[in-house]
Formats: sequence, structure tokens, C-alpha cells
Amino acid sequence: MKNRAETSGIEQKSAPPAGGQGFVRLEGVSKRFGDVVALHEATLDVRRGEILTLLGPSGGGKTTLLNLVAGFLLPDSGAIHIAGQPVTEVPPYRREIGVLFQNYALFPHMSVAANVAYGLRMRRLPRPEIARKVAETLALVRLVGLENRTPRQLSGGQQQRVALARALAISPKVLLLDEPFSALDKNLRGSMQLELKEIQRKLGVTTIFVTHDQSEALSLSDRIVVLSEGRIRQVGTPGEIYRRPTERFVASFVGDVNVLRARLEEVDGEAAQIAIGAAKLAVPAGTLRGCAPGAPVELFIRPEQLRLAETGDETACEGVVSAHSYQGGHVDLHLASEAAVSGRILMRWPGTEAIARWPVGTRIAVACAGTEAVAFPASPS
Amino acid sequence: MRKPRVSTWGGVAGAVVVAAILAFVLLPGFVVMIAAFNARAILSFPPESWSWRWFAKALAYDDFRAGFRNGLIVTGWASTIALLVGAAFAFVLDRYAFPLKRTIEGVLLAPLVIPHFTIGLGFLILAAELGATRGFAVVVACHVVLVLPFVLRSVYISLRSLDQRLELAAASLGAPPGRVLTTVTIPLLAPGLVSGWLFAAILSFNEFTASLFVTAQRTQTLPVAMYNYVREYADPSMAALSVMYIVATAIILIIANLFLGLGKVLNVEESR
Amino acid sequence: MPRRPFLRAFVSPAALCAIAFVAAMAAVLQFSVRAYIPGSLDPGGFTLVNFAALLKPLYGRVFLDTVWICFITAVCTLVIGYPVAYALVRAKGAFLKSAMLIVVVTPLFLGEVVRTYSWIVVLGNNGFVNTVLLKLGMIERPLQLMFTSFGVVLALVHVTLPVMVIMLAAALSHIDPDYERAAESLGAGPIRAFLSVTLPLSTPGIVAGVTTAFAWTFSAFATPQLIGGGQVNMVSNLVYQLGFASFNFPFAASLSVVGLVLAFGMIALLRAGLRPLEAVGPQ
Repeated sequence: MKNRAETSGIEQKSAPPAGGQGFVRLEGVSKRFGDVVALHEATLDVRRGEILTLLGPSGGGKTTLLNLVAGFLLPDSGAIHIAGQPVTEVPPYRREIGVLFQNYALFPHMSVAANVAYGLRMRRLPRPEIARKVAETLALVRLVGLENRTPRQLSGGQQQRVALARALAISPKVLLLDEPFSALDKNLRGSMQLELKEIQRKLGVTTIFVTHDQSEALSLSDRIVVLSEGRIRQVGTPGEIYRRPTERFVASFVGDVNVLRARLEEVDGEAAQIAIGAAKLAVPAGTLRGCAPGAPVELFIRPEQLRLAETGDETACEGVVSAHSYQGGHVDLHLASEAAVSGRILMRWPGTEAIARWPVGTRIAVACAGTEAVAFPASPS
Repeated sequence: MRKPRVSTWGGVAGAVVVAAILAFVLLPGFVVMIAAFNARAILSFPPESWSWRWFAKALAYDDFRAGFRNGLIVTGWASTIALLVGAAFAFVLDRYAFPLKRTIEGVLLAPLVIPHFTIGLGFLILAAELGATRGFAVVVACHVVLVLPFVLRSVYISLRSLDQRLELAAASLGAPPGRVLTTVTIPLLAPGLVSGWLFAAILSFNEFTASLFVTAQRTQTLPVAMYNYVREYADPSMAALSVMYIVATAIILIIANLFLGLGKVLNVEESR
Repeated sequence: MPRRPFLRAFVSPAALCAIAFVAAMAAVLQFSVRAYIPGSLDPGGFTLVNFAALLKPLYGRVFLDTVWICFITAVCTLVIGYPVAYALVRAKGAFLKSAMLIVVVTPLFLGEVVRTYSWIVVLGNNGFVNTVLLKLGMIERPLQLMFTSFGVVLALVHVTLPVMVIMLAAALSHIDPDYERAAESLGAGPIRAFLSVTLPLSTPGIVAGVTTAFAWTFSAFATPQLIGGGQVNMVSNLVYQLGFASFNFPFAASLSVVGLVLAFGMIALLRAGLRPLEAVGPQ
């Protein structure tokens, strides 16, 4: 017991993950609650030292996955490894994990210092060692001087720091964060996100982070796992997820997107030619397997990838301005258009000139500004 | 399904302990049930032959019949009065500040901790002092005081979980206070009111110690009649009556659980 | 001044009930300092003779027994009530939960007489326990379970268990299960997690449960009367005897007053005794 605790701090740097696989590894992990499949055959490698975000709508399976890694739930099938060790059957208290709970779960009957010391006490570290580590961790989260307060005497942001300190004090192999910022107001959320990222980089602790907030996921993660209906939809860097979604769900869940009716011209190796109006566009062919040339497809394109067609441009489609919405730094232009599946197109304009230039009712020709788009076979409906 | 892990043995041991305790809770009821169907007058286990005759005898016993009737009278009045008084007071307790608020609340909750024999004795002496006869009025007054804390608590809990913005919405739509009360507040409180009344009724019908002091031969309620019977006779009529009691109470509680959610009423549901 | 519709109409009936109750308690207090006139139901002049009579060792014994029985009952009820409350709150499955709740709560609504009678059937010389043990050949003569403090305490634990479970469950249900998970993620096994987190957080429920169990046991009458059968006497039995056997209502009243003071004193002591527990509990 004692030995394990003393070595746990350096273990992270010394023990290489088995066979070069992920530091945290899930193999075909499934979990059902009664008739509901919460997680289906999830296979996932979390690299050492990265922040991996589990993103998805509520009920998508992200919290289930987190609870399985933490050991709060047992999988119905599949295996979980942490640092090369199988932990599928290991209870949470022997997994060496740090968990930051959504509502922090700070023990209300203990002081800040006692909360942070809790995990160290469970590891039976000698008193001076505990005191040293508590002070160290509280300094890390910039909470020096609040040791003797109780959680209820702290602000939301301070409570979160204590919770983070408590999770980090035990030098966990993996840090698990369950929607940690959802209880904070918007300004505080931004600064806490930055701070968390800094601390994570400094310690290099492998981190799994659950959120339903896509902008949080895009800004904070090294890689993102998109989950819905208990299945992993896509794993990739924020850029890949945003620019090259491989599934219709991912494309529409992450970021704003326009869905336009288009046609497949031809497939040439990894690239597919798409015709939309007079415009032609090359998109990845992977999402269009089984589609014959000439087949109708749906083009998923981000608002910032659209622009006003100028003379000489090939017009992709047309629309009538139906509303402006001023967003501070830019203006969102809403167009009514037959070309869009939803009947509406969203465009972005820097500054405010768009409001005066294209009043409601103006007819606008739209062109594609870039090549970052994906296409999927047209949905049957 | 994968086998549960390490804490399994703890879990099994815990389940066994809890099951044993629940068995302890159920044991007397189970034993009484056997005794009630025992054909012989002397208790013996297991009975040599079975019969319904103690049920017939219990149902025909005059004191039990009178006790049942009196009990219904007392319970009907006491629980209804307690509901009206308690619900109204819970309402003002939740909403307003007024003089002596905490004092009145404290006094009304005190019967929870003051022994029933003291309360019974008090109402007996009070009635004698006032020159009142030992009629139903004294019994009902005593029962109202005894069950009021439960009504207060039950209604107060539902009031706390009532979204007051709904009342503001009704008021903004033009409902005067009386109409807000009858069209929004009371309908939304209905589960709390019904459960408060039900608990009051069950507790009043079963109240024994204080009733022993305040009832006379003419107003004797069923528990008092049963107590007197147990002191005098040892035949299983009482067991038969107990079985009817247990079955009736369990049925009422199961129905209450279906419609009201006992867990919520008793405030023992998990908060998340 | 905010408008407060219904205030007067809603407070008055409650105030009336409060006054009636206070009057009844005042009547007891008043009778306790009146003289007893043998053969008459009306009390005599003011006197302290009733309280002086209470100093007899006979009554001291009854007070001591009562407090002891209440204390043992409260502790036993806590010990067996806690696992049930915990299981009730943490049970998975609505059916299991409801079933446990009904089993636990039903006895609460049966009243003291029915429950005490059931225990007579269980504990009597021809009762369930003795007949079964005799038949199994484990004993040769019936065990004396009736008319013993053991029997009384057993039945009283059964009587107070539901209210204890309800109070503990109410406290436990308001503890976020994430606290226990947090403790486990930090390396505490289930038992340590329970002892260091859940148990201290449930102290308000323990204090409420123990004091209520104490008060209810103090108030019990039918159980000590029927199962104690005169061998085990509690304050309640004495009050009833004095009132309805000797018609000495002044003395019964003074006994009630002292009993009440004693009960409140004990409850205050219990709370003080449990304060160290509360210190580790939530503030």
C-alpha cells in the first residue's frame, strides 16, 4: 500500500504504456442500463499527456464512458487498461485517478486543506509529506491562505480550484473532468479553462474531459471524441472534427453548418467533385462511398466558407436576406434559399457594413469561399 | 453480464443484514396471521387445523363494532379539522412573517415530543375543569392537536416545492388572491393535502395512549377496545382483527404509494 | 407593507389549537400542585406535597428504568435502523424501493396496540418463539420472554424502528452520491468512504432519529403495560395507574410534569452527547 502510493507520482513518467498503445485504452466496451444501450462497443486510445474531450449531446454516452474509466460503473463487456494495466475489474479506489465532479462534490464537513489531504491520507502518507503536498497543490491552483475555510465559504471558482487540487494532490495517472465548467458564469468559465489547460500542460497529466459545449471542446482539447446514442462517431483533432467531419451527425453537432442540395459529379481517388449550381467543389470521397456519379448529395459547408458571388465567380446558389443578427465582431446574415435543405442559409460578415449593404429582402448570389466542406448522400426524407 | 467485483462480499453481507432486519419487522405480523387462522383458542405453532371463525367472532364483537364506529367519527372529524387548520397555517408559515409565528409553530409541533399520556391527561383535566362531559368533542380536540404536526409537515414540504411564479402568473392574468388560491395553489398542493389528510386519518384512527385517557365507555375508539380485550381475553379474535388491520393498512399504503409516491411524502427520495 | 391575503383567517384556527394545547398542558401543571382529596375527583388547595412524594425510592426506580429502557431502545433502533435506511436510499429499482418502504412504514401506522399484541403472540409462553424452540428440542421449558425488560425493549425497538428509518433515510437521501464517489476516486475503499464521508454527513439524521426514538419510547404505554405486565414499569404506566386506579389525578399530573422535565433533560443531554458527532458533521 505504502510503496504503491510513494511511487505513484513518478510512475507516470517511468512506466511506458504497453505496446505503444494508448495510455488509457478501451477495447470494445459496452454498457447498458436495462434496455438502454448507454455505450456500444467503444474502442478508444487516450494518448499520454493529452487532453481528450468527450463531446456529445446529453444521453450520448460520454458520462457513461467517463464513469467506466473511473470505475464507478462496470462494463457489461470489453476491457479497460490504464498505463498498460488491465483495470476493468479494479474498483475506483485502486485506480489512481483524479476526478473533478460536475458539482465538485467537495466534502462539506472538511476544510479546504482536509479536502485536498483526503486522498493522501487514504494512501497513509506520513503527516509532513501530506502537509507538503497539500501546500504545493494549493499553490499550484493559487489558493494559498484559504486552507482553513470550509467549501461553503468559497466562491464557485474557488470551489472548483479546491476540487482540482484535491484531484491532483494524489498525482493521478488520469484526470477525469465531468462538465467542470457548467456551474460557472461565462467570464469565469473562460479564465478557468485557460488555467486548467496551463496546469494540465505543466503536469503533463493525461486528461479526459466531458462536455456538451462544442466551443469549449474545440478550444480546450488536443483531440475530441464525438459520441451520440452510445456510439463513438469520430475521433480527431479539433481541426479535423470541425473541418473534416466524417459523419453527418458530427458535421451538424459541432459548429454552425449549412446543408445545401448538390450533385456528385465524379469520384477521383480520395477526392470527389461536387456540383452546386454553377460552382464545382472538391470534397473528401470517403463519406460518399456507394454514390454513383449524378446522385444527389448534401453539402455541409460552414458559414465562413461562403461568400458573396462577385463578377466572374461561379454562383453556387441564391437567397433572399431574411434577417440580420448583430454579433458584436461580426454580423450573421440569414438567407431564405431553396438550395438549402432547411430553407435557410447562414453567412458571416466581419464588421457591421452588411446590415446597411444588404437590407432585408435583397437577393444575393452566394459562392464558395474555400474548399473546406464535406458531402453526404442525400437523406431519404 | 459480468460478475460484480470486489465489493460483492460486502454487498451480499449487507443485503443479508438488511433482509434479516426486515424479517424482524415482518415477524410479528406473520406470526399473528398464523394465530388468526388457528382453529383452536390456545396459541400453538404450527396450528393443527385452520379456520375463519376468529374473524367472524371479531366482526361480531360489540365493543369492536362500537369502537370502529366511534373511531370513524373521531377520525373523520379530527383529520379533516387538522387538515384545514394545518394547511392554512402551513401556507402562512411558508409565505408571511407575523407576530408569534415561531411560537405558534413551536407549540403546534410540540405534541411530537411530548408523551401522549401527558397530552391525554391534560385534555382530560382540562375538560373536567371546563365542566365538559367526556364526549366526542374532547376526543376530537385531543386528536386534532396530536395529528396536526404531521399535516403541517406534509403540506409545508409540498408548499416548499411549489413554484410561486405560477401564482404570480395567475395574478398577472387577472386572478384575485382567492381565485389564485383555488385555481392554482390548492390544485398543485393536492398531493400534499391528500397525503397529509391520509396520514392524519391513519394516525388518529390508531391513536391509543391519549385516547385511553380522554375516551369514556360511550366514545371508546377501536384501539382502546382492543386494549381492553387483550387485557381480558386471550383468544385469537384479537389476532384476526390485527390481520384485518395490517391488511387494510398495507393496502392503503400501497395505494398511497402508487398515487402519491410515499418516498416523496416522507422526504426520503434521493435529491438527485 | 406587503399585502398578505388570508393572513388573519389562516392563522386564527391554528392559534386556537395552540391555545387549547397550551391550556391542556397548563391544566396538568396546575393539577400537579393541587392536593389530592381521597374519594373526590376535585383537587384540593395548592401544595408541593405531590413532588415531595415523588422522592420515594419506588418512583426513583421507575424514572431510572424508564430512562434506561428509552436509551437502550434508541441505541438499538439506531443500530438496526441505519442499514435499512441506507439500503432504502441507495436501492436500485423502483419496485425494490417501494417494497422496502412499505414493509418499513406499515408498522408505523398500525398503532401501538396491534403491534404490542403481535409481540405477545411472538413472545408468550405458548407463543411463537417458545413453541418453535420446544418443537425443535432446543429448550425444555418455555423461556420467560414476557414480563421482562428484554421483551419490552424488543417490542419497543420494533415500534420505533419505522420513524428512525424515515429520519435517517431523509438525511441520507440528501447526501449527494458523488461525495462517496469522490472519496473512492481518491483511494478510500467503500468502508472508509462510508466512515469518513457518508456517516459524518448523516449526523443530523442520527441526532433527529435518536432523540425522536427516545421521545416516542418515553411516550409508549401499551407496550410496557402489556408486555411488561407490571414487572416492567415506565412513567406512563404509573401515571395511568394513579389516574384510573386510585383517581389521584394531582399525583398523576405531578408525575407527568417530572416525566416531561426528565424526558426533555435527557433529550438535551443526548444532543449534547452527540455534539462531538455533529462537530465532524456538516456545519
